[in-house]
Amino acid sequence: MRKFALILFTLLVLAGCSAQGEVRASDLWVKSSEMSTIGGVSAVYGTLTNNTTNDIVLIDGQTDLAGIVEVHEMAMINGELKMQQIAGGLLIPAGQSIQLEPGGNHLMLMQLTKDLLAGEEISVTFSFEGADDLVVDRILAKPAEGGDEEYHSSETKMVN
Amino acid sequence: MVSRRGFLGSGAAVAVSGVIGVAGGAYAASAVGAQNLETFAAKRELSFRGNHQMGIEADLQSVTNFIAFDIKETTDRAAMLRFMSLITDDIDRLSRGKPVLADPAPELAIGAARFSAYVGFGPSLFEKLGLESQMPTGFGRLPAFKVDRLQDQYSSGDVLIHISADDPVVLAHGTRGLVRDAMPFASVRWVQSGFAHTPGIIPPGITHRNLMGQVDGTANPTLGTDDFDKVVWIEDGPAWIQGGTLLAYRRIAMQLDTWDQLGTPSKEEAVGRKLSNGAPLTGDRESDIPDLAARHPNGLSVIPEFAHIRRAAPVSQDERIFRRPFSYEAGISSAGSVDVGLLWTAYQRNLDNQFIPIQRRLDEFDLLNKWTVPIGSAEFAIAGGVSQGEVIAGALFS
Repeated sequence: MRKFALILFTLLVLAGCSAQGEVRASDLWVKSSEMSTIGGVSAVYGTLTNNTTNDIVLIDGQTDLAGIVEVHEMAMINGELKMQQIAGGLLIPAGQSIQLEPGGNHLMLMQLTKDLLAGEEISVTFSFEGADDLVVDRILAKPAEGGDEEYHSSETKMVN
Repeated sequence: MVSRRGFLGSGAAVAVSGVIGVAGGAYAASAVGAQNLETFAAKRELSFRGNHQMGIEADLQSVTNFIAFDIKETTDRAAMLRFMSLITDDIDRLSRGKPVLADPAPELAIGAARFSAYVGFGPSLFEKLGLESQMPTGFGRLPAFKVDRLQDQYSSGDVLIHISADDPVVLAHGTRGLVRDAMPFASVRWVQSGFAHTPGIIPPGITHRNLMGQVDGTANPTLGTDDFDKVVWIEDGPAWIQGGTLLAYRRIAMQLDTWDQLGTPSKEEAVGRKLSNGAPLTGDRESDIPDLAARHPNGLSVIPEFAHIRRAAPVSQDERIFRRPFSYEAGISSAGSVDVGLLWTAYQRNLDNQFIPIQRRLDEFDLLNKWTVPIGSAEFAIAGGVSQGEVIAGALFS
C-alpha cells in the first residue's frame, strides 16, 4: 500500500520537526517575503529543545538555500531595533527550549541561492556546541511579514 | 474507516465525567459543571486525517465562512501544489486548536471548537490550468434554472475553502490564517458567512431550523453509514478525487415579508411537513416516511402536488443528495425587510445524476419557489482526504 509506506516514511521526517534526540526542533518555518529572492535574505523560526543534561549552544547552520547562515538576535543599536549576529552563539540551557521568532532570535539566511517561494520546503542543518548536528527536512516557507523586523538595516545591506 | 465516528474528542468525556463525579453536592456539581462548560466547546475536535476531508460528514457547527478565490495569472500547477501545502499544514494545526505556523496572533488559538476546513475546485480552475482531463465524472457548471436570479458576487470561483467552527472567534482566527496563506496565489472572489444552532440548543444531527421556521435537512443519509458513503463519497475516477465529493452550492434568499403573511396550514402545505416537528403531513414524527399517495376524503392529496417534499423526492435511491445548509443574515433594510436565507449545500458523487434532476423538478413546479430565490450558485469538486505527509489534492497538481 502506497499510503502505508508514506506513513512509515513520515514518522521519521515530520514536516519541520525532528525525532526525539539530543535536540528537538518543532514548528519550524522559514519566511517567504519580497526579500527572499535570489541573493536576498530570509530566516528560520520555531522551537529548539535541549533534551540533554548539559547546556548547549546553537552556533551555526547550513542550508543549500543560503550562502551565509548566522545566529541572529534583535538588539537596540543607537536607539534602533536591529538584527545582529550573536557573539558566541545562542545558549540553550539543559532541558530548556528556546524560541526563534520574528522580532527575536532567529537563524538568519543570507545570499540566498534561489528565490524562496511561499509553500516550498527546505532542509536546514543546525550546528551546536555540546550536541550533534541536527538536520530538519521539510521546513515550510510561510508568506509572512510582521515582527517589526527591519530587513533594510545596514547589517543586511552589507551582505546583499 | 478512519476516525469519522470519533467526533467527540476526549473533552466531551472529561466534561461528562466531571459532572457525574461530583454528584454528591448540588452546589459543587453545578460549579464544576459550569467550569467544564467553559471549555467543553473549545476542546471538541474533528479529525483532519482520513479518507475524506473534514467538515462534511459532521454535525453542523454554529458558524461558517465559505470563501471562494480566483487564482492569479501567474499561478500554475506547481504554485497550486505550494498553495495546497500551506493550506494542508494550516488546517492540520487549526483542527487541533493550535496556531498556524507564522501566526501573528497565536493567542487566538484558544481551542479547536470543532474547527473544520476543506478545499474544493471550480470548473474554471481546471480550464485555467489545462486540467480538464482530471475533471471528475458528472462534474461541470450547473445548468441555468428558471428560478435563478444569480448575482456574480455570490457565484462561481476557482478555489473554495469552506471553514466552520462552534465559536465565531475561532472561526475568524482560522479564516485569517487560511486567507493569508492564499494571498501569494489567489485573490478573494467572495465570502459568504452563515450560522446554524449553537451546540446544545437542539439534539445533535443535521436537521436544524432554517429562518422560515422549517426543520431543514430531514431525509439526509445518516452520518457514518454505508448509505452515506454511497450518496456522497466518490470511489473511482482520477486518484485525487477518490474519497472526495461534488458540491452544489446555492445562496438561497428567503422572501420572509410575504412568507410571514401565510398562516400555518399554508406554510405546511407549501413544504409538505408540519412546522412543529418536521413530520410529514401524513405522519407524526420527523423520521416518518411521507406517504405521497395519501388522499383526503375529498380526493385531494394530503401532501399537495405542488409541495416541496413531493417535488424534491428522489425517483430512486441513487438520486439522493446530502444537504448541510447554514443560514445567513446579511442585513435589515430601513423598511424592516430582513436579508436572510440559506447557504445551501448538496454533496454527492455525481451532479448529473443527483442534484441536477432534483433541481429540475423543483424548477418546474414547487410552491416554495415563491419564497425562495437562488441568488448565488457555484460548484466545486472536493478532493479526497489526506494522511500524514500528504498534501490536499497533491495528486491533481503534481
